[in-house]
Amino acid sequence: MVGLNRRFLIGDFRGAFVVEGKGKNPIESIFRLMIKHKFIDGLLTCSKTGDSPKLILKSDEVELPSRNTCFGVNSLLKRAIQKYRFSRLAVYAPACTFDGLNKTQYFGIGCNWTKTAISLKVGFLCPGLLTENGFTAEVSDITGKPGKVERFYFDRGELFYLLEDGSSVKVSPSIHHHYINSACRYCLNMAAKGTDITCVSLKEEDKVLFIVRSERGWSTLAHLQKVSPGEVLFRKADGELLTSVENFLREKILLNIADIVERVELGLPVPKWNDNKLRKFYRIWNSVDVNFEEEVF
Amino acid sequence: MFYRDRLSFEEEDFKLKVGFLHFSSCSGCQVAFLDMFEEAVEILDTVELVYSNMLTKRRDIPRMDVAFVEGALCVEDPHHINLLREVGKKAKVIVAIGGCAAFGGVRRLSCGNQLPQPQSQTFVPVTEVEFLRTKVKYAIPGCPPNPSLLYSFLLALLEVNEDFLLPFELMTSSTKASGFDIISEVVNKGFCVGCGTCSTACPTRAISFNRECGKPSFNSNLCVHCGSCLAACPQSFKPYPQPVYV
Ligand code: SF4
Ligand code: SF4
Ligand code: SF4
Ligand code: SF4
Repeated sequence: MVGLNRRFLIGDFRGAFVVEGKGKNPIESIFRLMIKHKFIDGLLTCSKTGDSPKLILKSDEVELPSRNTCFGVNSLLKRAIQKYRFSRLAVYAPACTFDGLNKTQYFGIGCNWTKTAISLKVGFLCPGLLTENGFTAEVSDITGKPGKVERFYFDRGELFYLLEDGSSVKVSPSIHHHYINSACRYCLNMAAKGTDITCVSLKEEDKVLFIVRSERGWSTLAHLQKVSPGEVLFRKADGELLTSVENFLREKILLNIADIVERVELGLPVPKWNDNKLRKFYRIWNSVDVNFEEEVF
Repeated sequence: MFYRDRLSFEEEDFKLKVGFLHFSSCSGCQVAFLDMFEEAVEILDTVELVYSNMLTKRRDIPRMDVAFVEGALCVEDPHHINLLREVGKKAKVIVAIGGCAAFGGVRRLSCGNQLPQPQSQTFVPVTEVEFLRTKVKYAIPGCPPNPSLLYSFLLALLEVNEDFLLPFELMTSSTKASGFDIISEVVNKGFCVGCGTCSTACPTRAISFNRECGKPSFNSNLCVHCGSCLAACPQSFKPYPQPVYV
């Protein structure tokens, strides 16, 4: 049976912290420091607008996507690992990018020796990705007029967009669900469970919530604090903040589950060589005695 | 398991006898296999290479547990027909390695059915040969497959890791593969998350990334039918364990 509890929605983690940076964006500061102190030799992510993948080699070039759009990150994997021979690469992307990466690491398909080349996986809590056209349509649906999205963030369990004109709009999960990428409507891992750290954008631009999952994530942050004390401040996140994230995920995932159930019941096709994870989930969703912890969605 | 049916797992001197058989191919798969051996020091004492046209001197094909077969079968070539009979007789299990053996690969681009030019002969992947149907247990995509995939595959064979092997078993029943799979099987079915893994997996850049729609695009003129793109896509099979954190 699947209970939509914290373990299913957020996944296991070692600790959650509100991270505050001296610069504007604490995650960017962290990656800058990591490159400067040679913890990593490159950062694979997307451009600020999120429409093109980017391989960042210098600390002063660090810039992360600020909107919920980040496409094509893994398309640069071979260039990073096989051409530039990076062996300590960090990746910042949504969960499904890590699905591709984790699969490449596990099976060895796609890009050679990815297994040993990745030093840190930082996923962002992802409400579903949109293309530029998707953003335009969504904003005009919500506000009744055109507007350009600058960044997305979560506040008290709600999703918000900060627009170019400085105003903020609340994005209801049901409207958002309508405009996101089709595959995002079946996503069961918005909290990026296969990563070292999941970060959640917050209202204040200089703050972010870090959900630290792995020993590697934990020790990297500890090491970073040792080599540059005071650059980034960590404060234990309070229960309320985590509960608000969980509430958002629960509301959104119920919409996704409704779409999965519908897709399975209609018998819409899945790709060949697929182990049919949707049908597997459907069975577990409708049963009382299957342990979902064993499954990967 | 099949090749260990009469052997006990505890048997100390167990060595998996593997061979490498070569049909019409560029030998790139065999070279990838050799690249893999550099990294595979810890499994070398459990594997014995009994036949390879590049590495062993013997001319006759001995009995073996696993035959890795590279290349497509040339229907007009009597040597290939003999080799086909031999491998059917001598190998307990056949692994079709690389696009040519598994899905036709670059041999799918052959333009006609006539000797003597290789580009105009008739080729079929070994997965399509009825005579070998019960023996071809696994197909490995790639042109050539990554040495790290071959290493993980060999390890999975030795450890009888069925979860790992299952997708490669499924691929034997799908004798055709191309980059169009990415469009028809993933994008058209609404499963593409736009991660770009297919494009990195493609050895010929037949798959590029369309920034405007955040999805891959496919140029069929560049495709060598190796199957890497769909195999790498996280929306095809996905039975790998999620990393567990404690
Ligand atoms: S919602 Fe899920 S599938 Fe969509 S981009 Fe985010 S992590 Fe990927
Ligand atoms: S699959 Fe590619 S590398 Fe392997 S034999 Fe065929 S052409 Fe050569
Ligand atoms: S598109 Fe590329 S990866 Fe896919 S089958 Fe063709 S050559 Fe192989
Ligand atoms: S690998 Fe990623 S980008 Fe390519 S088809 Fe699959 S989901 Fe889409």
